[in-house]
Amino acid sequence: MAEYWRWKEYNWHDENKDWRSGQLITAGVDVGSVSSQAVVMVDGELYSFSNMRTGSSSPESANAAMSWALENTGMTLDNIGFVIGTGYGRVNVPFSHKAITEIACHARGANFMYGPTVRTVLDMGGQDCKVIRCDDRGKVTAFAMNDKCAAGTGRGMEVFADLLAVPIEDVGALSLDVEVEPPPVSSTCVVFAKSEATGLLREGWPKSKVLAAYCSAMAHRIVTLLVQVGIEKDFAITGGIAKNIGVVKRLCNEIGIESLKTDYDTQIAGALGAALFGQNLLKKKLTQAEV
Amino acid sequence: MFDKFRDWERNRHQYAMDWQARTGGKVLGYFCTYVPEEILYAAGVLPVRILGSHEPQDVTEPHIFGMFCPFCRDCLAQGLKGRYDYLNGIMIAQSCLHIRQAYTSWSKHMPREFNYYMPHPQRVQSPHALPYLTEEIRIFKKAVEDWTGVTITDEKLQKAIDVYNENRRLMRQVYDLRKAENPPLSGEEAMEMVIASQMTDKAEHNGELKKVLTQLPSRKMGRKTCKRLMILGSEDDDIAFIHMVELCNATFVTDDHCTGTRYFWNTVEPSGDLMKALAQRYIDRPRCPSKDWEERTRVEHILKMAKDWNVEGAIVIQQKFCDPHELDIPAIRKALNGIGVKNLFLEFDVTVPIGQFKIRVEAFLEMIGDEDLFD
Repeated sequence: MAEYWRWKEYNWHDENKDWRSGQLITAGVDVGSVSSQAVVMVDGELYSFSNMRTGSSSPESANAAMSWALENTGMTLDNIGFVIGTGYGRVNVPFSHKAITEIACHARGANFMYGPTVRTVLDMGGQDCKVIRCDDRGKVTAFAMNDKCAAGTGRGMEVFADLLAVPIEDVGALSLDVEVEPPPVSSTCVVFAKSEATGLLREGWPKSKVLAAYCSAMAHRIVTLLVQVGIEKDFAITGGIAKNIGVVKRLCNEIGIESLKTDYDTQIAGALGAALFGQNLLKKKLTQAEV
Repeated sequence: MFDKFRDWERNRHQYAMDWQARTGGKVLGYFCTYVPEEILYAAGVLPVRILGSHEPQDVTEPHIFGMFCPFCRDCLAQGLKGRYDYLNGIMIAQSCLHIRQAYTSWSKHMPREFNYYMPHPQRVQSPHALPYLTEEIRIFKKAVEDWTGVTITDEKLQKAIDVYNENRRLMRQVYDLRKAENPPLSGEEAMEMVIASQMTDKAEHNGELKKVLTQLPSRKMGRKTCKRLMILGSEDDDIAFIHMVELCNATFVTDDHCTGTRYFWNTVEPSGDLMKALAQRYIDRPRCPSKDWEERTRVEHILKMAKDWNVEGAIVIQQKFCDPHELDIPAIRKALNGIGVKNLFLEFDVTVPIGQFKIRVEAFLEMIGDEDLFD
């Protein structure tokens, strides 16, 4: 049976760069509830990363993500001066020097990916959703997380992709293929929302309309979280759902603010922020060693 | 050093039953902290505060709406599960509707020898509150005399007041030591100390406090204080939460909780009429929001405390569905922000998801510190 929820796992490294001439080599490993990423930075530039599903063991997921980010680079863990773990498995990254929350890391990562004008970061992750306000250094000034429900998150979207047999990458675009926007699904629980959607399909709703109703419900729910903390421009989105145009467009329409664009993979924001923090800590470590 | 308090807090039922067996006296369970315990103590009754056990339960659904606060349901569950079967009496002095429902259900389905609902002014800022409460305490005193057969003379009452006042002063001395750069006790220990005082004979608790206070000023904690935090909001006896936060590079240095400062902050001041003196004390005490209107006197009090204890951040908690606190919290958070005390809001339930709260707490601590992560 096809698994429509499966998003693409991949790794990348900069083939034009020779890391051996680098001074500061750091890594960030973000073990999330659904996906894990490892990012390697060399002298302030992104050098390599991996993006894959999290397994049942956090240490194994961290190891796997790290090895994959280093694949075909000739680099080993020994070449990396500082590793920071983040994400819900942050304390279970066996080779890390320090753990930092994904809230701090996403703000820092977004600051790098989108530039220092970012003041509000929305991280739409696998099982939770965070609104983070930050300053021009990417330091958190306020934040809020979704409380009891995972409906406004990537896992919920995966459930819907499977239910409707639509590859997860196509969900967003297909949800926009409606002439009139349907009312959002009313259930805040993923499981109940799925039952509701099954009912709508039985009534003869096309897939695009059902997905529109779900993406719109998700956007609404996120807006309620956003207004709790307050939205200040510039506004940027990180995490997997940032790739879902159906949610992003509805969300931005509702708040009347466009989100910034980036060429980076929005899923690596946490690991990227972690690697950047690692860079500062490594610099400090080296200065202290000199003294 | 604080082992005795921890022992009393953890084995509250055993303590009360042992006391009952040892003295032959009556034990009364009370809800909230507006009950003038001195009256009971003067009659030889041991007042113990009814608290929950922080376990998931399924026995209160027929009694209390799901939209009432988890704390009142957790309290009632203790009664329904028979954990307080040794109580000779139960009572409440009016605070909020949620906890009153716990009392009402309890007295209806598991009545004791003595079941007492004491009216208590809701608008304590009114000039009529004092005569009102004075008379209510007089009526209550008569009810206790009828129940126990003990005449509560002024002499007995003054003695009880002295014991209670001493307890309050000693606990404030302990809290004053927390103003130090490196407080000689953790927030967890402080909470255990105050909760223990709500469940034990105050004279015995005083003895232990005096012992602790001889050694406390020179005590070395063997841990770094790191960020100085304050915790405030609804009823909170969630020691597991306090413990978790204090493992994350932070120390609680003070609180505004009814399981903390609100309970012992002020003493009964001498007066010719002891009933009036008691009433004045329960009117003047730091209030919870169900009684603190139209002026929000709590805000100034909390800000002063934050300054006096040199607080760097505050955790503002609310029991889920606790309307009175829900109403106060935006004003309090705004005021704290106004004096530069950043704060984190968390909604508590009978059990809290430690992992999900930990990330919020850690992110909060990173937010108010961790400058070395940046250029």
